[in-house]
Amino acid sequence: MLSQMNVRGLLFDPYNNAYIVILRDEEQSDMLPIWVGKAEASAISFALERIAPPRPMTHDLMKTILDNMDAKVISTVITDLKDNTYFAKIHLLFGDSEFTVDSRPSDAIAVALRTEAPIFASGEVLHKQNSEELERWLENLKPEDFGKSDV
Amino acid sequence: MAETNSLISLKVHGVLVDPNTDTQIVVLRDEKNAEVLPIWVGTAEGTSIRLALENVIPPRPMSHDLICSFALHLGFTLNKVVITEVKNNTYFSTLFLSKDGLEKSIDSRPSDAIALALRAQCPIFVTPEVLERRGSDDLDTWLSKLDQKGFEQPET
Repeated sequence: MLSQMNVRGLLFDPYNNAYIVILRDEEQSDMLPIWVGKAEASAISFALERIAPPRPMTHDLMKTILDNMDAKVISTVITDLKDNTYFAKIHLLFGDSEFTVDSRPSDAIAVALRTEAPIFASGEVLHKQNSEELERWLENLKPEDFGKSDV
Repeated sequence: MAETNSLISLKVHGVLVDPNTDTQIVVLRDEKNAEVLPIWVGTAEGTSIRLALENVIPPRPMSHDLICSFALHLGFTLNKVVITEVKNNTYFSTLFLSKDGLEKSIDSRPSDAIALALRAQCPIFVTPEVLERRGSDDLDTWLSKLDQKGFEQPET
């Protein structure tokens, strides 16, 4: 059972010096926070804000390579959560065949935003992630923690 | 683009951390160790290059490992990368990919090109023009000041 997710934004987590990508399902009933590094957050933020950097960033290059090879990103799926690590798959269409490539969710999301491919999360992942923990964490956030994604 | 026979083959000598800025420096050398080309890269790119140099397999695929996975699944190969140009301290490079005998060239930053070349074990070239324009006097002074301990990977 897959739910389609939208990227709602990026938060800075000052306690872990990392960034959190917030994914929500279309009905806004489920939320999936994914902790990512600074470079990955920056790659996602550029795509969200439609900023074209002067030189191609790694995920822009990824898209250019896929375009040149006539491969299309069909979808990306956040598939699993094990020991606080999220797993994702990128589904590619190439010729008449479909290929599934293992990736980190941060790469999958950065590619999906650039190729306008949908992002899904498996029911297991949504079930496993402890939203209570996130809510407690969000309550402690101060307004100034919501940065303008200056990454 | 220069002819292939005038291109100079480079090896990645190591990755240094620039203590003054939040950047890393990839040091490339030619085979005779006569030429040095330092390229400033971001932290993520520097880390990715260092992982490949040290043959470290991270628990989860990094972005450049993912590109190599794409290559494996889609059946294309990275034949070479060429650092083609330097303009206003920005280096430009080109990836040469091939699939079924058809070659495609793709513009990239040198950091991505080097990170991919190390993983695909393909050669890294530079044009003579880039080496000439690098300003070697400043570089020697700069390199001599660097703490040798900054070299994570002194010999490759």
